[in-house]
Amino acid sequence: MVKENKVLEAKNVSKRFGEVQALDKVNFDLNEGEIHGLLGENGAGKTTLMNILYGLFTEDEGEIYIRGERVKINSPLDSIKLGIGMIHQSSTLVPEFTALENLILGTDGNKMSLELKDAEKEIEQFQKDFGLKFPLHTKVKDLPAGLKKKIEIIRAIYRGANILILDEPTTSLVQEEFEKLLESLKKMVAEGVTIVFITHKIKEVIQACDRASVLTGGIMQGTIDTKKATKEDLVQLMFQDAEINITESAIPIINLPDVEKTSEPILKLQNISAQSKEKDGINLDSISLKIYGGEILGIAGISGNGQKELAEVIIDPNNITKGKLILKGKKINGMSTNKVFSRKVSYIPEDRKKESIIGLGNITENVLLGHQREPRFQKKGIIKWDKVTREAKNIINEFQVKTPNEKKKAGKLSGGNIQRVVIGRALINELDLLVTHSPTAGLDMASVEFVFKRLVELRSKGTAVLYINEDLDELMQVSDRIGVIHEGKIVEIFGQDQFDKYKIGSKMIGG
Amino acid sequence: MVGQEVSLKQTTKLQKIWVGSKPYILALLIAFGITGAIIGLLGYNVLKAYQTLLFTSFTSQRGIIETLKKFIPLTLTTYAFAIPFKIRFFNIGGWGQMLFGGTITAIVGIALAGFNLPAIIFIPILILVAMAAGGVFALIAGFLKAYYNINPIISTIMLNFIAIYFVNFIATTEPWKAPRTGHPMSLKLPEAARLPELFGQIHFGIVIVALVIIAVYYLINKTVLGYEIIATGINPDAASVYGIKMRRTLMLTFLIGGALGGLAGGIEVMGVHQRLIEGFALTSGAQYGIFGILTALICQGNPLGVPLSSIFISILLVGADAMQRTLQVPVELVFLSQAIIVLFIVVLRRRAGGSFIQ
Repeated sequence: MVKENKVLEAKNVSKRFGEVQALDKVNFDLNEGEIHGLLGENGAGKTTLMNILYGLFTEDEGEIYIRGERVKINSPLDSIKLGIGMIHQSSTLVPEFTALENLILGTDGNKMSLELKDAEKEIEQFQKDFGLKFPLHTKVKDLPAGLKKKIEIIRAIYRGANILILDEPTTSLVQEEFEKLLESLKKMVAEGVTIVFITHKIKEVIQACDRASVLTGGIMQGTIDTKKATKEDLVQLMFQDAEINITESAIPIINLPDVEKTSEPILKLQNISAQSKEKDGINLDSISLKIYGGEILGIAGISGNGQKELAEVIIDPNNITKGKLILKGKKINGMSTNKVFSRKVSYIPEDRKKESIIGLGNITENVLLGHQREPRFQKKGIIKWDKVTREAKNIINEFQVKTPNEKKKAGKLSGGNIQRVVIGRALINELDLLVTHSPTAGLDMASVEFVFKRLVELRSKGTAVLYINEDLDELMQVSDRIGVIHEGKIVEIFGQDQFDKYKIGSKMIGG
Repeated sequence: MVGQEVSLKQTTKLQKIWVGSKPYILALLIAFGITGAIIGLLGYNVLKAYQTLLFTSFTSQRGIIETLKKFIPLTLTTYAFAIPFKIRFFNIGGWGQMLFGGTITAIVGIALAGFNLPAIIFIPILILVAMAAGGVFALIAGFLKAYYNINPIISTIMLNFIAIYFVNFIATTEPWKAPRTGHPMSLKLPEAARLPELFGQIHFGIVIVALVIIAVYYLINKTVLGYEIIATGINPDAASVYGIKMRRTLMLTFLIGGALGGLAGGIEVMGVHQRLIEGFALTSGAQYGIFGILTALICQGNPLGVPLSSIFISILLVGADAMQRTLQVPVELVFLSQAIIVLFIVVLRRRAGGSFIQ
């Protein structure tokens, strides 16, 4: 047995945020030159633990050793000095700068001038060594998400990191890109870099990592050697008491019952082009789609290819520049959101906290959102709060929202519970069409299963469901068909018998 | 067991009240401390100054009446700021809206003088005119924000200037101006256009303000519009995704806020001066509209907090006037303490983890 060289050890680390024990006496260690998976559901404490190692938070209790030496990491500056680099889930690059300028930013060098030649050479060498190619002189804002991740990895290495923390690096990558990234990571490991790979997907851990540690609810469940372990071992660690059947990608297994589709589509997009509401959004380009009652039409695509615009053009068809939007046989171009909703349509937006709820409002007030002008909840502009309260109580019961009562502020609920309220609200009325965008993002397994089941129930009732999601594994679980959106166009629609991760993935990146 | 639980609950409730009021109490103590130090350094009697400042309103009937007279317009200009503030826009124009409302009231009142309308018709007409004038004046800023994305801070400040010169123009020009006066002022309103006095002491404006307080509370808490205003203020993204019309809501808040600012002007003209007079919107030498901003910030625009913080500021203003009269302490020192109070309340509330808006 070779004695393993510990580059990093965290002992009994605890961290508390208000009432929440985010980490409870966690032990964690890294061997030199390994890829170490850190597995756990959202909210398990993975990012908190890593943020402590990176100096963004300080631990309440516990000790951290780097190469056997006790250290105190008070800020990212400390951790960079210790050779720790972290790549966050969302980009921390300056969009207006080129890749090269981003890489130089904050490093020492000639302070009086921006002489980039030497740095450029050095960086090109890294790029070659690790197979991480990206243009150095293009502004970062013009680059796709996958490349940004590469820039951030090179930036960390360039600054001398030999312990690299990757926080959910695969969120916006398709299978092909993931495999390429993995190759690069293995090359780095061969050069002596140690990597922490944070993810909630068991499959990625098995594919990518040498060892894996599992965190649940702030408690370290254990560390296992992934070469010897099976998927079941990891599942066992992750969901000890769960009774959920899950796939290899750690997604609940759902059966789609046979349902008769409506003969006419509920919603028809005929050659729709539309302007994005956002400054740097993608315009929709001649999209044609039909969604029938009793089917779930999945929309796959890399984030930022027009998904949001597609959802919004349906619930707010005001920016259409070309084409016809037809709901149940009637053209609805230019109709107000209120009117669209009143035609048995509802929407579950992508960004829960930003778009779904009024966080400082309580559950009752949130249940009313979007229904506030319906006759059953108001009379002559006066809200019938007793009716709304009753509805809120119903939703809490029926959708098992964990809350003391309906007066709790919605923003204080967990993601899964917020989503239960949002779905409950969407289902107050019978629906012909539900548009939903990444409704499962960041939810724990039980909540994901809950969302899936509701979508399938709607499908059984004959509702048309437009299900937009960046996660292909999830889409393939519950969709009847999958359309791929790329740069504002639907490039292909796959039937259930043609579902294939690689084929769909290659369409997603414009192949 | 049960008893214990109850007492536990009470403690937490008391604690909650303490946590909620702590920033206010601290801010008051700090502000009065600093102001007291300055008053002392300037050689005045600090104790006497405080006594005058805080208790003048309560020591005589006149004090009470004076306080209420300030309370009436101040509450209205506070709402003028507080209502657009609910959707996070700053109406700095409560002042201009008050001036404009008052001026249009005077113009219409003088114009209708020949019709011999009874008070029961004349007064309601003028109240509506005042509200419409202030509302439309503020709506300009709301419209510019909604359709051209022009910051209401800028547009309302600019509109203030227009209103100031409009007052001067009307008060110094035929056929409105009063003959043979040194100070710019208009003709008197006809008898039937003046607000009656209750118990021969305080004009009818106090009743109007009481009704406004109830109406605003009702609007914010019970109506669909109020709900939409609050929802938009807390999360404009979610509000617009779920079909609340941003532009409409925005313009309505300015319309309502402006209407109340205009009403303040109308009431001052009809109830206090019985004519348009340059400076009718001033109190202790500063604009009611400016105090309205301070007063609204103290209570964060809470509909029921508005009258409370408004009465508090009114007491200070009456005290400040008295302090200047009897002790020659400059009234500006009280403005200083008010500014410090607002600053510290905002800072301490932030530190206590409370949000600025809600």
